Amino acid sequence: MARVGVFVCFCGANIADFVDVPAVVEEVKKIREVKYAVYYKYMCSDPGQQIIKDAIAQYRLTSVVVAACSPRMHEKTFRRAVSEAGLNPYLLEIANIREHSSWVHQKNKKAATEKAGDLIRMAVAKSIANEQLHEISVPVTKRALVIGGGIAGIQAALDIADAHIPVVLVERSPSIGGRMAQLDETFPTLDCSQCILTPKMVDVASHPYIELIPYSEVIGLEGYVGNYKAKIKKKASYVNFSLCTGCGACTQKCPVKVPNEFNMGIDKRKAIYTPFPQAVPNKPVIDAEHCNMLLKGKCGICSKVCEKGAIDYTMKDEVIEREIGAVVVATGYDLWDPKPYEEYGVGRFKDVITSLEFERMVSASGPTGGLPIRPSDGKVPKTVVFIKCIGSRDEAKGIEYCSKICCMYTAKHAILLHHKVHDSRAYVFYMDVRAAGKGYEEFVKRAQVETGTTYLRGRVSKIYKMGDKLMVRGEDAQLGQVVEIEADMVVLATAIIPYKTNPALARLLGISYDKYGYLSEAHPKLRPVETAKAGIFLAGCTQAPKDIPDTVAQASACAAKVCGIFSGDALKKDPMISVVNPDYCSGCQNCVQVCPYQAITTEEIPITRGSKETRTVAKINEGVCQGCGSCAAVCRSMAISLKGFTDSQIINEIVSI
Amino acid sequence: MIRLGYLEKNTFLEAVNKKSGANVLNCYQCGKCVSTCPVSSYMDYPPRVIMQMIKLGMKEEALKANSMWFCLTCSACSGRCPREIDIPAVMEAIRHIAIEENYVNKTKKVKEIRTFHNIFLDMVKRYGRNYELRMMAEFNIRTRNLFKDMHLAPKALLKGKITIGHEHVKRGKAIRKMYAMADKLEKSQKG
Repeated sequence: MARVGVFVCFCGANIADFVDVPAVVEEVKKIREVKYAVYYKYMCSDPGQQIIKDAIAQYRLTSVVVAACSPRMHEKTFRRAVSEAGLNPYLLEIANIREHSSWVHQKNKKAATEKAGDLIRMAVAKSIANEQLHEISVPVTKRALVIGGGIAGIQAALDIADAHIPVVLVERSPSIGGRMAQLDETFPTLDCSQCILTPKMVDVASHPYIELIPYSEVIGLEGYVGNYKAKIKKKASYVNFSLCTGCGACTQKCPVKVPNEFNMGIDKRKAIYTPFPQAVPNKPVIDAEHCNMLLKGKCGICSKVCEKGAIDYTMKDEVIEREIGAVVVATGYDLWDPKPYEEYGVGRFKDVITSLEFERMVSASGPTGGLPIRPSDGKVPKTVVFIKCIGSRDEAKGIEYCSKICCMYTAKHAILLHHKVHDSRAYVFYMDVRAAGKGYEEFVKRAQVETGTTYLRGRVSKIYKMGDKLMVRGEDAQLGQVVEIEADMVVLATAIIPYKTNPALARLLGISYDKYGYLSEAHPKLRPVETAKAGIFLAGCTQAPKDIPDTVAQASACAAKVCGIFSGDALKKDPMISVVNPDYCSGCQNCVQVCPYQAITTEEIPITRGSKETRTVAKINEGVCQGCGSCAAVCRSMAISLKGFTDSQIINEIVSI
Repeated sequence: MIRLGYLEKNTFLEAVNKKSGANVLNCYQCGKCVSTCPVSSYMDYPPRVIMQMIKLGMKEEALKANSMWFCLTCSACSGRCPREIDIPAVMEAIRHIAIEENYVNKTKKVKEIRTFHNIFLDMVKRYGRNYELRMMAEFNIRTRNLFKDMHLAPKALLKGKITIGHEHVKRGKAIRKMYAMADKLEKSQKG
């Protein structure tokens, strides 16, 4: 016969003010199986836990009910206490009389007391049917997959690899480096982006624990934390990387010219190309969409000039598989296309450019050799107007959120303009100046005071052409007057948006994303790098717009989480998962359909022992099952039950009230 | 509408900065000076707007304003300015520039304020200190408002706030020498 102990908590005044706890205890004592019932001010405190431990020994209790706060708060605490007293920790039940009773029924103490009594009665009834359960141990594959080779992916990969854990780094473009490689200088210190990034890129290429797979995409992920299997599509590069020496003869001789994505289309690249001089790996790839040989079967110049015979036009896409234990997603960001801003002449006026185009222009390795020039006539602009919040904070044309970094990079651009063109004059139209970060406000002040950039509060209403000048009209809200600026060039600080393939990737990985396409973290404050799926983490702008310091910090946080998973040989897991009784299973596979974690497969078992004929039954993968109970609910033949929430436990609960 | 464009140098800003010793570019338009200033409601442009005009090089508008003439130089604004701009010094600077370049606001109030300033300086030059009765009389005559505040005179006399005769300071000569030096300095700067 079951011997249940009930421990009711006051939770200071949280419960005791609205529930008559002593009366509840008296009521509970009347239940036949309850051998001991007591109340205490703080059950979770050390003396409170001691009461439980002592009672288990003294009254030879077979299960324990703690009536207190939500199991989310202290279930672990009490399980530990129960197991220290020698009882199986899963023989503990929590009756949540705080969130479910005292907090929500503060206006009716009598009803709150009655409800608390009912909740405890249910927990007691359930605990009578509780069984001893044991933690599940899942083996782990100690290898991490990092998706995206920008600064986030690079940092995460290096940090994980430095802990002697093998990393597979997958990058969709021919070189790692990402957006940061396109930047000239970085705020707020104005150190050269390439100079601080390329050492890390080289580290990735030479690290013994990093397998770099460039020009590839992840196309499938199966399994569960510690035991994922990733499918990676290696796009055909038509260049044999093991033979290629990166001499560059092919890119020089190639006759086809294509707009250069890396330079935002300002100049041209060849059909066989390396994205930029410091590319890692520094091997060219053939752009199949523009190569004459691949399209028309004519040309073949690159193959002729290649001394090593590394060009292979017959190369096909290849799918490879890697077994991994954890994933870091770092797919980065894209820039919002400012086309809807017709009033600014986007697309009509050549001298209205985007911030990343300006960034490439002022970059020493950029298409203009570090000097901003007007795309219309190639002249150096003297008066430049920068407009912030293009697409950001614009519900009508763009997106609602603030892109976070535009205030800072616009200040940087104003300073860089002054550095490159000494007698230039910069105007900035802003809505707010958001410079929250170490050294950021000082940096903006530097732009305003030292370089004399004029900040005007307001959104530009329109831009029109007058001769070869652009007339920029907006309000200076500080003066309350309309301002018109005769400008040579206008730079639009376009918003940050998630990379367009994010939703597809999220579905593929089985994680969630928000309405903009950013991948969702498990908790906005307390679990900012985890996703809802165990073993998948987020770094950088794939989760939300952020600057380089925040991105690097988040990437390192991901690495710490990954190393945590790999710290032991096996992962411990709650035993509250579904089990199938194959004798009852009819093989209808309804459970396979409803399982949100793809944890259920089928297997063939003999109809009777020793029989050659087989029948199909459901099989649950213990590592994947999260214990949601959907399968148990949908099972028609009642073959599936959820451990810790068996039918008899639930029925006991219902019958008790 | 304000027209802006290429400015090789914001000469107005530079002149104000040089004269005042402050850097107007430091102003980030918070408006604390405006709400601090006891007379900002009498100005046609409050101090914050004057700062913005200087930053934008709007010389004429700024110099024609009455703001700097209303400024009492009480320094409440600069005491509270988060960017530590010496706003009274900026006001003083644009008063100077307005006089030098003939932009002085032509309204009656500003004329009266300037008359008041001039009479005060004249009193100090003559007597070494203020001679209130004569100052009041002269101000009323010059502004053609003979009986202005006359009813206050008996009370002020009884309380000793004003006296019938004037007093002399001990070293009147030294004060007149100071005036001469200031004149000389002004002329040399102009030349």
